[in-house]
Amino acid sequence: MQALLVMVHGSPRPDANREMFRVVDLVKQRGVFPIVEVGFMECNTPDIPGAIDACVAQGASEVIAVPYFLHTGTHVMEDLPALLEEARARYPRVQFRMGTFLGCSTAIADILVDRVTAALPNGSAAQAGC
Amino acid sequence: MNAIILFSHGSLLCGAEQALQAHAEHLRRQGLAPLVRIGFLNYTEPLFPQTVAECVAQGATHILVVPYFLVPGYFVRVDLPRLLDEARARFPSVTFTVTDAIGYDERLADALIASAQAARPLEHERDVWKQAAAFCRRNPECPLFATPRCPATGSE
Repeated sequence: MQALLVMVHGSPRPDANREMFRVVDLVKQRGVFPIVEVGFMECNTPDIPGAIDACVAQGASEVIAVPYFLHTGTHVMEDLPALLEEARARYPRVQFRMGTFLGCSTAIADILVDRVTAALPNGSAAQAGC
Repeated sequence: MNAIILFSHGSLLCGAEQALQAHAEHLRRQGLAPLVRIGFLNYTEPLFPQTVAECVAQGATHILVVPYFLVPGYFVRVDLPRLLDEARARFPSVTFTVTDAIGYDERLADALIASAQAARPLEHERDVWKQAAAFCRRNPECPLFATPRCPATGSE
């Protein structure tokens, strides 16, 4: 059984996670993954090892981790893979894979276009053809 | 003339801005404004004040600032207004508008699912370091600097 693990930076302001949780709720509704868990690097709980434990406890045989990050950097390229490798050592019968960070998606570019057209005068928005 | 500036945090890691550069190119192709630039808060050049100055030098009279942030946190609520105050003082005839941050969007859910469906074994993720090396700017603060993976220093 596949689990999606959404890896999030975390924030000292709990409010900062509200929109991320809305996105994750939508992912759950889509029903693609029988298990969906959020794990935080800092500040909030559960942490990523705790979220992986939750996936395995629900019967996950494969954990697919996706960084909810706009940027690549040491977190995405070093810290998160290291956490997943530690988890693999703890759960040798579970497969682990990692997806590209959210900022890579062309969806981000489409959303930026919308943020711009919402702020431009009407004429410019129409010109953008959105 | 309108200009768009994507306002981003910046990174010590060489090449970390490649995805953002691709998004800026997408905005350019949409023809939303004659100028689409990136301005960074920290680490990566050009820094935001420099980007503003370049847009004004090229004739921008209205600058639309798009926060390239998932949430409007400290950087957007505190640092950006400070930078905008400085920019307005420097260029009083230029108007500035700040758009919403990325925030919530249904397409983020689709992007998460697509990323998961294209996920690769953990070993492959380390390949991303090679991409960073391709954008080496000999930055002593880059996490790759002076490691075997740094083209500037690592070949010896």
